[in-house]
Order: sequence, then C-alpha cells, then structure tokens
Amino acid sequence: MVLDQVLAGIQASLQLGNLAALVFGTFVGIAVGIIPGTGPMVGMVVLLPFTFTFSPAVALSLLLGIFCGGYYGGAVPAILMRTPGVPSSIVTSFDGFPLTQRGEAQRALSAALMGSFAGGIISVFILIFLAPLLAHVAASFGPPEYFSAALFGVVLVVMAYREQLSRGLLLLGLGLWLSTVGIDGPTLSPRFCFGILSLQNGLHVVPVCLGLFGIGQTLILVEREILQTKSMSLTRRTLDFSKLMETFRYWKTMIKAGVIGTFVGLLPGTGSILASFLSYEAVKKTSKNPAAFGQGTPEGCLASEGGNNAVPAGAMIPLLTLGIPGDALSAVLLGVFTINGIYPGPLLLIKEPVLINTLYFSMLLINVVAFIMLALWLRPFAMIVRVNSSILAVIIMALSLVGIYSVNTRLFDAMVAIVMGVLGYILLRLKWPIVNLVMGFILGEILEQRLRESLSLGEGSPAIFLTRPISIGIILLTALIIVVPLILDRRRNKQSGP
Amino acid sequence: MAEQGGGHSRIHDLFGAFLGAAAAGVLISAHWQVDRSGPDPFYKGPLIYPLLVLSIIILASVPSAWRLLKPRKGFTWMLDGAGFPIKPLMIFLFLVAFLGGLVFIGLRVSCLLFVFSSLYYLGHRRPGVLVLIPMIITGLIFILFKFFLDIYFPTPLILDWFEG
Repeated sequence: MVLDQVLAGIQASLQLGNLAALVFGTFVGIAVGIIPGTGPMVGMVVLLPFTFTFSPAVALSLLLGIFCGGYYGGAVPAILMRTPGVPSSIVTSFDGFPLTQRGEAQRALSAALMGSFAGGIISVFILIFLAPLLAHVAASFGPPEYFSAALFGVVLVVMAYREQLSRGLLLLGLGLWLSTVGIDGPTLSPRFCFGILSLQNGLHVVPVCLGLFGIGQTLILVEREILQTKSMSLTRRTLDFSKLMETFRYWKTMIKAGVIGTFVGLLPGTGSILASFLSYEAVKKTSKNPAAFGQGTPEGCLASEGGNNAVPAGAMIPLLTLGIPGDALSAVLLGVFTINGIYPGPLLLIKEPVLINTLYFSMLLINVVAFIMLALWLRPFAMIVRVNSSILAVIIMALSLVGIYSVNTRLFDAMVAIVMGVLGYILLRLKWPIVNLVMGFILGEILEQRLRESLSLGEGSPAIFLTRPISIGIILLTALIIVVPLILDRRRNKQSGP
Repeated sequence: MAEQGGGHSRIHDLFGAFLGAAAAGVLISAHWQVDRSGPDPFYKGPLIYPLLVLSIIILASVPSAWRLLKPRKGFTWMLDGAGFPIKPLMIFLFLVAFLGGLVFIGLRVSCLLFVFSSLYYLGHRRPGVLVLIPMIITGLIFILFKFFLDIYFPTPLILDWFEG
C-alpha cells in the first residue's frame, strides 16, 4: 500500500508536465537567485498567477523549483563579486570571495554547489522521515493545540526580528488585520469593507504577496540600480569537475550543514540567513583549521550553502504537517495549497499520499536538476548579473500587473497589488521586517478560526488553552521563546556596556 | 530605546505612529464596519478577533508615537540619504496609468506605452532597448495571457466610443 503510493508519487513526479515545470522553475529560480535584489520570492510571486491553470502537483513543482533554485543561484555572485544574490549567501562570500581573489573561484563554486546539493538532498530525506512523525503527533491536536502552535509560529517570527520588536509586532498585527477584511466565513458578516463591494471577497494572497514582494522590490530596483559589475568573468563555461571531487573530503561538513539547515528551516520565522550562519559557525568550531575560515576555505562555502539550501525542505515540515508556514516563501506555497482546496495539516499525509510523495520526489529532482544546470551552464548563468536592473524591473512590473489581473480577471486585484507594492516599497526602504506582515496575513485566518473554535469549546473561557497538556506545553514553550532571548539580550548588553 | 536596523530617523516613528493612528480609527469605527446582528455570543462573533488584532497594532505603535512626540537627541528626518523617491514615484504613476490604460486603450497599447515610457524615463535611449524591448514584452504578454492562458481582457472603451 505504502509502496504503491511511493511508486505513484515517483511516476507523477516523472510525468512530462511535472518535469517541465520543475526544470523551468529551477531555471527561473537560479536566474533570480543570481540577480542581486530580486531573489526567489520575486520569481515565485511573478509566476504565481500562471500556476492556477496547473494541477496542484505541477504548480508546487514549479514554485518549489524557484524556491530551491534561488538558493543555488545566490552563491554565484556572492563568490564572484562579494554581492549575495540572496541574503543568506552573504556568509558564502566570507570565504568564496577571498578564494576568487586568489584565482580559485572554481574551488569556491564547486564547494558551494556541492554544499547546496548535499544540504538540499539531506533535508528532503529528513522531511520524508520527520513529516509522518510530526503528523502523527499533530493528529491528536484539537483547535486549542492548533491555535497554540500557530501562536508559537507568529511569536517565533516576531522574536526572530526582536531588534525591531515593536515594528515587527506592528506589521504582524497589520497582516493579521488584513486577513480579516471581507465576509467572515462562520457568521457571513461583512467586515472592514468600507463600502467597497470588491472588498467583500477579502484580500487574496496572490495580489498581497505579489504587490509586497514583486512590485515593492522592483520599485527598489528602479531606485537603486543594484547591479555592480560588468567585468565579472569566468574562464570556463562549466564547473571544473576535478575541483568538485575535492569537496568530498568534507562529507562530514555536508551532513552537519544539511541537518542544521533543516532544523533551522523547520522553525517559523528563523529563515535562511540564520541557517547559513549557524552551519558556518558550527562547522568552524569543529574544523581542524578554524583560522582558515574567513580567509578563503572551500569548507566555509560548503557549510554556508549546505545550511541555506536545507531550509526549503525544512520549512515544508511544519507547512505539511501543521499547516503553519516557516517563512514567507512557504507561506506562498500554503496559498497554492488552499487555492486548490488542499488544506495542509496532519491529515494531508493520509488524504493526499500521492501528492505528498510527488512533492518529495520533485524536491529531490529539483536538487539534481539545479546541480546539473549550474555545473554545466555556470558561465551563462553568471553572466545574468550583467542584465540591466531597471530593464528587468520594468519587465517584472508589466508581467506582475497583467499576471495578477489574469488570476480572477479582476482589475480590483491589480489595484490591491499596486497598493501593496507601495506599502512593500516603503517597508523595504525603511528596512522593516516585511516577512512579519506576510506571515500575519497568511496565519491570520488559521489563528482566528482556531481561536473561535477553541473559545466555543470552552464556552467563551480562554482557560481552555490551559486545560490541555499539549496546548500548555506549546504555550510554555512560546513563553520561553519570548523571555529567554530578552534575558540573554539584556545580559549581553550589560556585558558590552560601559 | 531606538530600535536597531533602522537608524535614528524619525520617519520610522512617523510611519509607526501613522499605522497606530489608522488602527485606532478602524477600532473606533469597528462597530459600524462589522455587522454584529447575528445570534452568536461575542466569543463566536465576527468582532472578537479584529479587536484583539487592532489592539496589538495600537500597542505596538505606542513607542513610535511616544518618540514622535518626544524626539531623542540625534534623531532627524533623514532616512538613508537616498533622497526623495522620485523615480519609484514616477514608475508607480506609470503603473497606475497602465492599469487605467487596460480599460481605456486595451492591453497591447497600454503595455507598450508603459514599458516604453518607463524605459525612457529611466534613461534608456538606445533604439534597440527603447523600441525592441517594449514590442517584445508586449508581444510576449499578449501571446502568453491571451492565447496560452486564454484570459479575457476588457474591450478598450476607446473602441466602444469610436464604434458608437
């Protein structure tokens, strides 16, 4: 029975449509990952409107291709130009760029690519192993437990940006409020429509995300002309495979980085930057030659890329088993699930085993495809950074606006995207944690639904959350996550103070 | 304490206070904005959650509002030295015009004009860029959305006017 489902998943992932989607998605992902200032989120939101014509498996393969491919691509400009394509690749540049300066760019790129591949594959295997276990635990969850888990998620997101605590909380609240706009499902009461009929349908996840990330980010691109160089060059078209073989010496590092990255990705709000840093620091501490880190060692590139490439699969664990996205990118994936009438949670693994297995094998394939693509077309991909950013921004905006209209053929959605684009631009320019807004918007509906169900169970008493052991456990953990970092920060500030 | 990650600009506080004030306005008007005529008790009703959420926004904006009223030493209106965002503002206006253009002059003309005018405004003068890219992008979008995805685009109003 299980074997049949696995085989059906493999078969579905190898179908032409799915393969085409994941290859195209990976290609786009690598490209947007390489271009500084864009990143996988922009790629995902621009292609999001197209996914509505596909089956859920194909749509998810396309978006996961961009998600994973983006992290592969981000290392290339980080190593060659010390400009990370995605923020988490900044750690890769610590060792990658010094290696490039010494004329050893191929060693750095080989290590980064091998680290990315190992991190990606290891994390998918952890996902395959861990998701059913977590789903088994989550099967005993009722509304109070779900509410506590979702609350845990949003608190983690806020605490991840605790250096901007009130701003993060403000944006989280704004996201939560935006999710309440429109007709309330259980009571059919219109809420906060301000007399605008189109608002009764509520705000759709696509225009909100596309506006915040697609249009907002491109307005920043227009302003800042982020691309730095036209002089970047690589002597070989492909990766030097002899250098690739050298990286196998660091197999322990690959495993360590992959495991760390997966578990960081599993925690909502932590993100790929933390995964890169933690992997890098952990590997540095146990390395035979820690002094070489920061001076240009392939092991550093491997650790950093292994960590950040493990994040996508890690983030899928809470998404698939609890319906709680780990970051903004997986929040968009949650939107794709729900739009197709699929609701992630513990029952998903039982109800949709073929889809889940297709997803697992597609993720494995994406890592293989990304590895091969970058290894064979390294120089053409690297040359993408020469594309003029303002031309790219205009193209993305035109595609985004028409794309958003095409989802529901409603001009109102395009208007929402433009308004969100302005908000996204302001938040990006102010450097406020925009991810809190998206997480609030996505988790808002889950939180509200579970809160009202829980209160109904408790006949209006919030004590219901403190009468169930799992709920109490999660709430205590949430309290620890708030208190411990604040105490540690205070202690650190005292130590570093006068 | 000023929050890290944003420097000492008072614009942060202004924006935070603005969001808080807007949330307060929404909170005050919530009783009129939300239909509570249903038979459900308050804890099952449509207002309990928005009230909690709006309270979070207002509470979170208090530090910003406080700093806005009582600015600390060293806080200025300077944000990041990048100046007034004239380029993004103009592109935003082009984007709004593009959206309006979809209704009045149709997808092809409005897309062509948007890409052309944006590229021109952003300083591209080479004919290859200024002419070819708008045509390619418009063609690509038209083929992709009209033929591949079979999306309905409204008939341009201008055509209706001409045809009477």
